[in-house]
Amino acid sequence: MNPSGLSFEQAPPFSVPLRFFLAAPVFLVLAAVLMLWEGPQLFASRWLPATLALTHLLVLGFMAQVMLGALLQILPVAVGVTVPYPRLTAALIHIPLTLGTLALSSAFLFSLRAGFAHAMGLLGLGFGVALIAFHIALWRAPVASGTVIALRCAVGALLVTVALGLLLAGSLNWGWSLPVVAVTNLHAVWGLAGWTTLLLAGVAYQVVPMFHITPPYPAWLIQGFAPLMAGGLAAWSVFILMEWTVAATVAGLALAAGLMVLAAGTLYLFTQRRRKISDPTLGYWRISMVSLLAGAALWWTTRSIPTLTTSPQVELWLGILLIFGFAVGVINGMLYKIAPFLAWFHLQAQLLGRAKAPNIKQLLPDAPVRRQKWALLATLLLLLAAVLYPAVFTYPAALALGATGVGLGVNLFSVARIYSRALTRKGLM
Amino acid sequence: MTEIVVDGRGLEPPEPMERVLAALDGLRPGQQVRFLIHRQPYPLYDILRRHHYPYETIAGADGGFEILISAP
Repeated sequence: MNPSGLSFEQAPPFSVPLRFFLAAPVFLVLAAVLMLWEGPQLFASRWLPATLALTHLLVLGFMAQVMLGALLQILPVAVGVTVPYPRLTAALIHIPLTLGTLALSSAFLFSLRAGFAHAMGLLGLGFGVALIAFHIALWRAPVASGTVIALRCAVGALLVTVALGLLLAGSLNWGWSLPVVAVTNLHAVWGLAGWTTLLLAGVAYQVVPMFHITPPYPAWLIQGFAPLMAGGLAAWSVFILMEWTVAATVAGLALAAGLMVLAAGTLYLFTQRRRKISDPTLGYWRISMVSLLAGAALWWTTRSIPTLTTSPQVELWLGILLIFGFAVGVINGMLYKIAPFLAWFHLQAQLLGRAKAPNIKQLLPDAPVRRQKWALLATLLLLLAAVLYPAVFTYPAALALGATGVGLGVNLFSVARIYSRALTRKGLM
Repeated sequence: MTEIVVDGRGLEPPEPMERVLAALDGLRPGQQVRFLIHRQPYPLYDILRRHHYPYETIAGADGGFEILISAP
């Protein structure tokens, strides 16, 4: 009997999110290899083909990979709905996303026109399946909580990001005429301030108080942040496309302020932790939220002082702070909560009454998590320095990025290995 | 009916679930577990269904939940 009226379905098998989580660190390593291969010239401008290839290895290969995989898992746990046919859906998202990322990066890197067409097909398929599956699940959600509202806005922003991305790829492949600079900026801002930030916000409302034992986010933020940001993004986009400069500047400042509120609010919650036991993943959250705050402040400053807007260094810093510091940082930290928890949960579910499942700290001890955090922080600082002194810092930044990817991959792989060994020992696999 | 009360409120995951599963491990027929928790424990329901534990969820006025679980 279940008087709360919620309908429950099976959580997806561990393999569903795990395939995304294990593939993601490989793309950090690929990004590092690309940096070593291309060298300091990468930092001349965000518009260079190799820089665009590097950016998409990070945003598609790492970020989208984990975000889509985690959503397949988060929806049943946090919202109480699951996507239909989880294994098949996961494969139909994961395989085209992985191949599409490689196709797009190669197309940029080697100026392959046909590569853009392949990337469009593959990424269109992967994201198309994801968007349909998530929309079905989210509109079936039994309760329209703050998290559900934020996830709906995030998935809506993903739709805009993907549509703009496909449009840009089409213009590179078939020469469609587009205001490329404006559309690229819209694509990037919808991806980072929309899809990424709103997904993070929706998940943070649940996981920050839950895992870090903080007070909840204020109700006005939980209810209002995502709809206001989504509305602000829509208004800002219209102003940009209509070339209403003053209105676009004001809307841009409002969006930057919104990002600062989320970052500062989250950092404040961490000062209110009721349990003062040190938690290695807290460091990742702090790096991420400080990067978001700094990125948003930099964006605010560039909108207020227009001469800065066109500086290639400022644009690169914005990208590094928001993509690597904010997004990669928090995703990396959350993976260390999600992956061992899921392994533990699935082991509990299968071993209950038959054997004792290894506990979370046995699945993933603190020491390697702390070590990898230093690699992540070093990468962030070296990347920022490389924008100013590419000749000195590009190679150290690339090596640090490679170490970050290898560290994360080894840690996640060891969780998966302990999980499968525990099952094999009981003859369950 | 004897009742084992497990209070998982305000604990860091997965401690609440660890405690309730430990209590279920020792549950005898005629006993039930009353699990107090500050949020909907969706993953727990999954395990309960898989192992055929009958359960009932009662939403409290304070936003918390009580889950009454009996032996299968």
